[in-house]
Amino acid sequence: MIDFLQNTLDGLALGSSYALLALGFTLIFGVLRRANLAYGPAIMLGCYCATWAYLKTGIGLLFLALIAVAGSTLAGVYVERLCFAPHRKGAAAAAMVASFALWMQFEELATLALPRHLYAFPALYAGGPLSLGRLTLRVESLVMLVAAILVCAALWRILYRSRFGTAVRAVIDSPAAAELSGISVSAVSLQVFALASAIGGLAGFLIVSGNEQVTPMLGMWSTLKGMLAMMLGGLGSLPGAIAGGVALGLREAHSQWYLGPQLRDFIAYLLLFVLLAVRPPWMNTRSAY
Amino acid sequence: MDEYAIGVLTNIGLFSFVALSAWLLLVAGELSFGQQAFFGVGAYAAGIGTAMLGWPLPLAALAAMALGAAAAALVGLPTLRLRGLYFTMATLAAAEMLRILFELFHWQIALGDERIGPDGTQGFRGIRWMLERGIEPLDFLAMVWILLIGVMVIFLRVENSRLGATLRALGHDPELARSAGIDVDRLKLGVVAAGGALAALGGALFAHHNTYIEPRNFDIMLGVHSLAYGLIGGLGTAFGPLLGVVLDIGVLEATRSLQGYRMIVFGGLVAVLLVFRPRGLLDERVVHWIRSRA
Amino acid sequence: MLRVVDLVTAYGKIEALKGLSLEVREGSITCVLGPNGAGKTTLMLTIAGVLRPRQGAIEFRGEPIAALSPHAIVARGVALVPENRLVFAHMSVLENLHAGAYQRKDPYENDLEKILARFPRLKERASQDAGTLSGGEQQMLAVARALMSRPRLLLMDEPSLGLAPLVVEEIFRIIAELHRDGTSILLVEQNAHMALKVAQHFYLIEQGRVTFSGSPGSLAEDELIRRAYLGSARA
Repeated sequence: MIDFLQNTLDGLALGSSYALLALGFTLIFGVLRRANLAYGPAIMLGCYCATWAYLKTGIGLLFLALIAVAGSTLAGVYVERLCFAPHRKGAAAAAMVASFALWMQFEELATLALPRHLYAFPALYAGGPLSLGRLTLRVESLVMLVAAILVCAALWRILYRSRFGTAVRAVIDSPAAAELSGISVSAVSLQVFALASAIGGLAGFLIVSGNEQVTPMLGMWSTLKGMLAMMLGGLGSLPGAIAGGVALGLREAHSQWYLGPQLRDFIAYLLLFVLLAVRPPWMNTRSAY
Repeated sequence: MDEYAIGVLTNIGLFSFVALSAWLLLVAGELSFGQQAFFGVGAYAAGIGTAMLGWPLPLAALAAMALGAAAAALVGLPTLRLRGLYFTMATLAAAEMLRILFELFHWQIALGDERIGPDGTQGFRGIRWMLERGIEPLDFLAMVWILLIGVMVIFLRVENSRLGATLRALGHDPELARSAGIDVDRLKLGVVAAGGALAALGGALFAHHNTYIEPRNFDIMLGVHSLAYGLIGGLGTAFGPLLGVVLDIGVLEATRSLQGYRMIVFGGLVAVLLVFRPRGLLDERVVHWIRSRA
Repeated sequence: MLRVVDLVTAYGKIEALKGLSLEVREGSITCVLGPNGAGKTTLMLTIAGVLRPRQGAIEFRGEPIAALSPHAIVARGVALVPENRLVFAHMSVLENLHAGAYQRKDPYENDLEKILARFPRLKERASQDAGTLSGGEQQMLAVARALMSRPRLLLMDEPSLGLAPLVVEEIFRIIAELHRDGTSILLVEQNAHMALKVAQHFYLIEQGRVTFSGSPGSLAEDELIRRAYLGSARA
């Protein structure tokens, strides 16, 4: 029982980082109907900028967070301009492969700046974990959870209570009608890309400072987890992305405990495969890239 | 020819098989992120055939192709009706499952004084059929390219046949194809199985070229690369994926002096190329133009 | 106010508009009639910037707008109510109207009130998702959304298509009201009888060209309706 609770707690923490990744991925997917493979690598690049700055100057965590977010955002904007803006109509495959090409670019850029496979990243919190009776809770996990909730709340306000949010949802609903209503789909796409990459950058920062290390693998890992959580949550729905992320985290924590990491991943993919094949009603049925 | 050049040319040939299999699905209108898994199935199956069961390579390669086709069909059946990103993600999920199965796959037998066979994440070493038969790298290179040319001849014949036109119709608009009386499900399943067999053949050769395989060889990176080859080279002709492989492996090898920067240059070039040629260098229009001149 | 000169728009090799010219005067209702496939919807989509013309010019208040994207054309005061309505199905009626006013920097609460007063059915359903509205209500919403951008020229593509006769009458009543309030309107209609009642000027287009233009009454209505539905070539 205590194991179960502990696993659930760990799963929630893990899931909140997945939820953040999935939110960014879903925003981009919703607006463009395209999967952005360079999403994770852009986050990785942002985190590498922060690591580089840390190694050179030793500046504090808050600045590192800012650098990670700014770096990811810039990288994201670059991806949008080069891979997605030119392929707005059709050519989904080309957009996806182009984003993959930039992934390769980012990875090399990162290893060029910092060639070792692994770098230490300053810890979010230097003290030990909190104990709640027989349960332990890492402070980093708590920060991650709170950050995820705050970002979701802020995003909800932006999307449902602002002029920009109305435009974003209009583009998600129907790009053609949005254009005819005077909304520039191209401008909104760029802005959404920047916003999503910034959220991803924050998630990346929380993850690397929670793990106290950064590797180039963060790129692929973020893309895969973000995509997986988005698909579990039903593709293109923001509340679904949060639910998908949390569900993925919970499931991983539990199955890791009982089955080990390989079977844990196996079950994640099996679940995704079955979900795709069966397509339960909450999964969006629109044919989509 | 020096050993280095032989190695590069062999690699170009080997990866052309998996690139062609991804291209085949691309022409039929689907993006697969999973062809690397069938490449892996072929590698493991053929390795087991020659190194553990003592089969000759041709038999092992045939078995590998059959297994690759069966695995692909198994993945294909429940996903036939999926379109777009759904199909892509389903192939990725299936491929990752297969890769994890390779990681969990332990089956070793004692041969002489060593144990041979797949050993989980430690990989599968000792696939030495070529060495034992005394087949030189140059002979192997010739073998790979003869098989590849054979495959290309089939592809080019199909391209000009009714089947080729049907395939392109399917890729263009599956609903239209369905309403035109094409059995879309059967056709798609056939394409998926053929792609699996083709990738498995490449994998079988790959295992015997390297003598050592491990699950990591068959991860998503290979899958996305295979897909990219077809799209860079062009969707208009089966030479497209070959051109993609030559550009990637060839250019990478030729630009060793750019060490450290080549992916930055190459990645950027690919992205820019796709802006101007979203269906690749040899797209349908270029191919049509070349044909009309020939 | 709007001048279309020698417009050619093509889908691949097929030209849907083959050198079409027309004009809309400030404050008027101009109607475009013609059989199916004559190029009416193509014309509207080209003016609105959704389709790029291959040749010819479109001038609005003296400014060329043919190369602009749809949102930029909305910003200049031309709004299209598209044929298939295209409301934001997953957004509420009110949000649809806010989206329509996206370009406006001025406070538009007064306009919103006025528009809701003009469409009482929409006011009742203000917080309902647009996808749950009936066809007629969606058409009203599409018109209302276009009006939120405060257009100088309203383009309406077959606003009565597929609607019940009572709803059609309501739509035309609204068109007449908008005209009275000073909005210029370019109207594409299959329902020639209704359209000719409100229009000051009409164009008959067949196979991508204008074949007749004039004011209602300048051609016998039965002759006009026959040609508008069937085209003269086949008559």
